[in-house]
Amino acid sequence: MNGVGLHKKLEENAGLLIFGILFVSTIGGLVQVLPSLFQESLKTPTGTTRPYSAVELAGRDIYIREGCSVCHSQQIRPLLAEVKRYGPYSRAGESVYDRPFLWGSKRTGPDLHRVGGKYSDIWHRLHLINPRDVVPNSIMPAYPWLAERDANAGNDIHLKMIALRKLGHPYSDEQIEAAPAALEGLTDIDALIGYLQILGTWTKPEDTP
Amino acid sequence: MVSGTVEGERYFDRVVTALVMFSVIWAVLGMTVGVYIAAELIWPTLDFGLPWLSFGRLRPLHTNAVIFGFGVSALMGTAFYSVQRTSHVPLYAPRLAWFCCYAWQFTLLLGGLSLLAGWNTSKEYAELEWPFDIAITVIWVCFAIVFFGTIARRRIKPIYVSNWFYGGMIIVIAMIHIVNSLAIPVTISKSYSLFAGAQDAIVQWWYGHNAVGFLLTGGFLGMMYYFLPKQADRPIWSYRLSIVAFWAFTYSYIWAGPHHLHYSSIPDWVQSLAVAMSLILLAPSWATMINGIMTVSGASQKLRTDPALKFIVLSLAFYGLATFEGPMLAIKSVNVISHYTDWTIGHVHSGALGWNALITFGTFYFLVPRLVGTVLYSVRLANIHFWMALAGTMLYILAMWGAGVSQGLLWLSLDEIGELSFSFKDIMASMPPYYALRFVAGLVFLLGAVLMTYNLYMTIRGRRTIHVRPPAVTSHQV
Amino acid sequence: MKTVISSWLLFRLLFQPTAVFEELSETRPEPHSVFLKFVVWLAIIPPVFAYIGASNFGWRLGAAEPLFMPSGDLILVSIIYFFALLFAFVSTAVVAQWMATTYGARHSLGIHFALVTIIAAPLVVGSAIHLFPHVFLNIVVLIPALMWSMYLLYRGLPIVLKISPERGMLMASALIGYLLVAAVSFLGLTVALWGQGIGPSIGI
Repeated sequence: MNGVGLHKKLEENAGLLIFGILFVSTIGGLVQVLPSLFQESLKTPTGTTRPYSAVELAGRDIYIREGCSVCHSQQIRPLLAEVKRYGPYSRAGESVYDRPFLWGSKRTGPDLHRVGGKYSDIWHRLHLINPRDVVPNSIMPAYPWLAERDANAGNDIHLKMIALRKLGHPYSDEQIEAAPAALEGLTDIDALIGYLQILGTWTKPEDTP
Repeated sequence: MVSGTVEGERYFDRVVTALVMFSVIWAVLGMTVGVYIAAELIWPTLDFGLPWLSFGRLRPLHTNAVIFGFGVSALMGTAFYSVQRTSHVPLYAPRLAWFCCYAWQFTLLLGGLSLLAGWNTSKEYAELEWPFDIAITVIWVCFAIVFFGTIARRRIKPIYVSNWFYGGMIIVIAMIHIVNSLAIPVTISKSYSLFAGAQDAIVQWWYGHNAVGFLLTGGFLGMMYYFLPKQADRPIWSYRLSIVAFWAFTYSYIWAGPHHLHYSSIPDWVQSLAVAMSLILLAPSWATMINGIMTVSGASQKLRTDPALKFIVLSLAFYGLATFEGPMLAIKSVNVISHYTDWTIGHVHSGALGWNALITFGTFYFLVPRLVGTVLYSVRLANIHFWMALAGTMLYILAMWGAGVSQGLLWLSLDEIGELSFSFKDIMASMPPYYALRFVAGLVFLLGAVLMTYNLYMTIRGRRTIHVRPPAVTSHQV
Repeated sequence: MKTVISSWLLFRLLFQPTAVFEELSETRPEPHSVFLKFVVWLAIIPPVFAYIGASNFGWRLGAAEPLFMPSGDLILVSIIYFFALLFAFVSTAVVAQWMATTYGARHSLGIHFALVTIIAAPLVVGSAIHLFPHVFLNIVVLIPALMWSMYLLYRGLPIVLKISPERGMLMASALIGYLLVAAVSFLGLTVALWGQGIGPSIGI
């Protein structure tokens, strides 16, 4: 039976066709995606990488909420110019507590993976409230509302940490209990700055070959 | 009464009309948001300090509105239309089809609002939070039941090629949507992905790339395989080629996702495999294009009366570009320059505007008059739309090529002593000319779509109710 | 049928495109004569303008200082520009001739050369703006020139190749497809060469 003859069978039987499509389209995922889910090196933290503190986690979720990853990547490629511009290239082990990953796909603004510690808190505050006050030609949106909103307005920080613990992030009971208090009196902008300031700081230059 | 036709039986087309209308509304809405955020990149204060006008929230709204509002509504409508005609039976479970139609619009409407409110998973093209993911899954399963149910009851033995592509879309999108959306909910508006870091990246781009592959490429190829031969009034050029291309396409597309993660910290072998499969992918993609072009090349006399065919022919040219550019950008030595730049945005739009939107516009110009039993309100307006769509797409692509190549080059440029030649700020400050051109391009394209909306609206206003019956003769054409 | 086309034709293109196309359709130009008389010269003009502009003023890409290239590099880039244009002219004509069979159009290479030359004329004229190497200015001038070229393509192709406007429409769209793929290949090839250390110095 030639190929076309074989295909006659497939295209005259809806069940076979569905099965055929499912079979053919699954192979790639099984061979390529599934093994990487079991690869230990992709789950092992590098350097001092740890789960985010309550403030950092709240900040990270604000980063997600405002869609920062649409314009800022967090993945420095191992290229000379890129390492010069942004710092040591990114390791898989640095994002093991990133749910979801925030590597991004577009740099309308610069990469932020190693932005932690590069600017002062006050610079970040001014910059977030109105970027053009500190970077005249910037096209970044202003985020004035971040300074007005309570960082734990949803009163859900402990719920978030409990959910993450279910997924394997090693939070202790004490950390979770103390979480709401840690956000007490902070606004969104404080939490976001808290997150930005630790970005990429858990891997020291000496850890990178 | 010839055997095989049930008395009073007719194709169920009202749901198709509704889906087409919703699709047009989403197109205008989604493109308007696109033009607006293009303007924000030139005049950043256009958000007026309002959270829900902020670029980071409007951008996911733009992509979701055009892909899932405009694109999926059109695909669902045309799938319902063509599956009846290629199976010679009315739609299976028409009430369920109505449910798909309205539930989809309702989910997307609420979903769009939730994006404005900042509910965002931040996974590209999967930004909607978990309640919407569940709703989408339910609707998608209903879509599958209607579609495959109709095929199961068909009165013509072979399943036509357009249905393989539509079917492939339904199956693969279900698979990748469910896996990529796996998450633990925290509150109604927040969940955490089951996958973390590099693994999440691999899963996300397995999803992201194949959403493009099986929805924006495969789904629309289903549209092409039904409507192009229909409009050209000729059978498809090569049946054998369509078989080979379909299976090669379905097999190889799945592997190419990690080319979105070149030089990142995912394993090298995953990246290399993605490059190889991306290059292989060119063959089935272009085989399908050749099949389409050759089908239409002998049918030029139809063009005089039917502006629709023009759109479809041009869409094949842009399809050729996009499916060539994609594998090219997947090569690591090209990707090293193009990644993270506006070149990617240009590439997406050569597919989205040039291929998806143009073929859909063409299909609508063909379909709407037939659905309402009249002729197109204005062929002239449709022709003007054609030129606007062509100009808009070309300008968009050129603007993003210019922006992307300069970004890629200048970011990496080193001077004589090996230091960076340009600061990020300076490079960013050189973008306004390109962004202005992109804004104009988008605006021209949007105005074309508005023109189409008016044209179709006037067409529908002149409607009369028609019912199309399945053909009486049901002998198996083998 | 005439076997040569005059330079006068190019000027009249500005005012009476249809008449020019009709006249062209009555000629049977020799490929080598079109090539030597028009293609080479048209392909030289933009690189020369680009060289003069860039060497005198430097490219302004926006806010940054004008970008000056060492004159050796500049000459090299201009020569590559010339050959790229030459390739664009010749390959488009050859591809158009190859497509002619499918669309039942005239098959002589000379007429395809002539057609491509005429269509590209607005872009070549527009390239005078290279004398002022400012990105925004170049965009403002070259984009309308490109639109005009595209208009000439769709308008002129069926007349010159003696096919119905509908078939011309199909063939013109197919040619646009070729041109886009060729353009993106050129871009891809260029950046791939940069990656290999040929051209500007980049840190990868």
